[in-house]
Amino acid sequence: MIQTHDLTKRYGKFEALNSVNLSIEKGKVYGFIGPNGAGKTTTMMILSTLLSASSGKAYVGGYDVEKEPKDVRHILGYMPDFFGVYDNLKATEYLDFYASAYNIPQKNRSALIADLLELVNLSNKADSYVDHLSRGMKQRLGLARCLVHSPEVLILDEPASGLDPRARIEMREILKKLQGLGKTILISSHILPELAELCDEIGVIEKGRLIASGSVPEVSVDTRGISIMQVKVIGREEVAEQILSSDPLVRRVDNKGNHFRFHYIGSPEEKVYLLQKLIAAEVPVTHFADSQENLEDVFLAITEGVGN
Amino acid sequence: MGNFFTNPLISKELRERFRTPKTSWTVGLYLFVCGAIIIGFMKIIANEQTDLLGSGDRLLVIMAAVHYALICFIAPALAAGAISGERERQTLNILLTTHLSPRRIVLSKMLTSILFMFLLLIASMPLYSFIFLYGGVAPMQLVKLFLFFTVNIIFFGSLGIFCSTWIKRTSISTITAYGIGFFFVVGTGVILFFLMNFITYWITDTRMTPMDYPILEWIASINPCIVGLNILEKNLMGESWTIFSQYYWIIFTAFYLVLSVILLCLAAYILKPVRRPWSE
Repeated sequence: MIQTHDLTKRYGKFEALNSVNLSIEKGKVYGFIGPNGAGKTTTMMILSTLLSASSGKAYVGGYDVEKEPKDVRHILGYMPDFFGVYDNLKATEYLDFYASAYNIPQKNRSALIADLLELVNLSNKADSYVDHLSRGMKQRLGLARCLVHSPEVLILDEPASGLDPRARIEMREILKKLQGLGKTILISSHILPELAELCDEIGVIEKGRLIASGSVPEVSVDTRGISIMQVKVIGREEVAEQILSSDPLVRRVDNKGNHFRFHYIGSPEEKVYLLQKLIAAEVPVTHFADSQENLEDVFLAITEGVGN
Repeated sequence: MGNFFTNPLISKELRERFRTPKTSWTVGLYLFVCGAIIIGFMKIIANEQTDLLGSGDRLLVIMAAVHYALICFIAPALAAGAISGERERQTLNILLTTHLSPRRIVLSKMLTSILFMFLLLIASMPLYSFIFLYGGVAPMQLVKLFLFFTVNIIFFGSLGIFCSTWIKRTSISTITAYGIGFFFVVGTGVILFFLMNFITYWITDTRMTPMDYPILEWIASINPCIVGLNILEKNLMGESWTIFSQYYWIIFTAFYLVLSVILLCLAAYILKPVRRPWSE
């Protein structure tokens, strides 16, 4: 549904995108992970017909984004990372404006708007002025706006940025509903747990290069010879931290008081040796085991050394 | 263009504009300024001369000057924030991903900007009835004057839209629109004055006068002040300039309407997110 071939974007000497090759199948949710300035928004703007690529090709639904932008816009809903609203319009008027901008016949609009407001849990705010809505509500209204022409593809650039935890959960629930409706979704975020449950596939982008892409197991930390480990202690935390930090096979120790999480690149025998070292130093260990990896671990493991 | 007048942008813009109290205040202030100046001037006429019959033409000149000054001041400002305002509130990219083409966006913005200016003009029409109290003005003169205002409003609106598309910040685009507008209103007059003096004092051939240089007539024909005064029968150039005296109105209208179309086409081109000159 979405494909890019050697997509490159340069701003003078700065290369914002460097030969990005993406392939997203119909009905999949693809998470685009990367830090700020990695090239996520640039890729999304090219796919949304808002920016031209310096070289390479991009297709949405089989249409070339540069040669057939009108066809792309028919099947695409785009939500930018930051967007404004029209101050003096009510929520229904706001959606009505975009529905008419997408040539939806007037007779169909009121039912459509009611359905969309219900989908994003804003039915009770239908007659409120858009400017009076909270940030989370505006984001949800923005998502409803993307859906007025029932697009097959949604490109959502950091839809949950700046939202409080509750609003983030609400947004995630709505995205799950859209996933259930069979929409193809390209969603970006630099806040990784946001995407963890949602995505069928992920792509990690850093400094304009797509450095990993595939299903979550395919790009998992395991495949790179790294395991995520967790150690819990009930005392002598300083000693435990010192042992872990000084071990050459331990990376990225995350100290949460009496609970340590870290990347381990050694063999199972070497794990045994690490545990013995902790016991020998009289650290009261209550838990020493592999931990469930999360997207943050994947991202950190994959991007290790890319910046250099 | 098929369903241009059912364009969603136009209804949205008009709804937004007329919902704010600012709009009523602007109309009220505009009428107050126009009315105050006219009443003040009527008082001056009444003090100066006892016979007021036929002095309507003086009043018309003052009213036209006030109106023209307000058009020069308001029309570019209304249009110069139309596109850059969308960009500043981060709604432009969303708008460009809808089925509205850049050309349609530009034309709708232009139309809504100038519609408000026309509203101000129409709202001030009753003030012109004072002129007929004094006499001395033909109704045809008023029709010509309104056509002259219309051409100016279209030009200033197009100029404002072009600057708004070309320049990202509303404040800078407004200043630029005023600057370019100033060139056409005052600059062309200054150039004409300079060239006339240059010819009079520096060309040694005594057989040649400024009247023998058609370029000067063309410049005079695109200066709104000279053309406006000519409509009000205050001819600054004399009858010896045949092109000007016969065709000034056609030259003026054609020049500014063509320029407006060029500015709007350029604005639509600049607004295209992915510019491919040979497509569509």
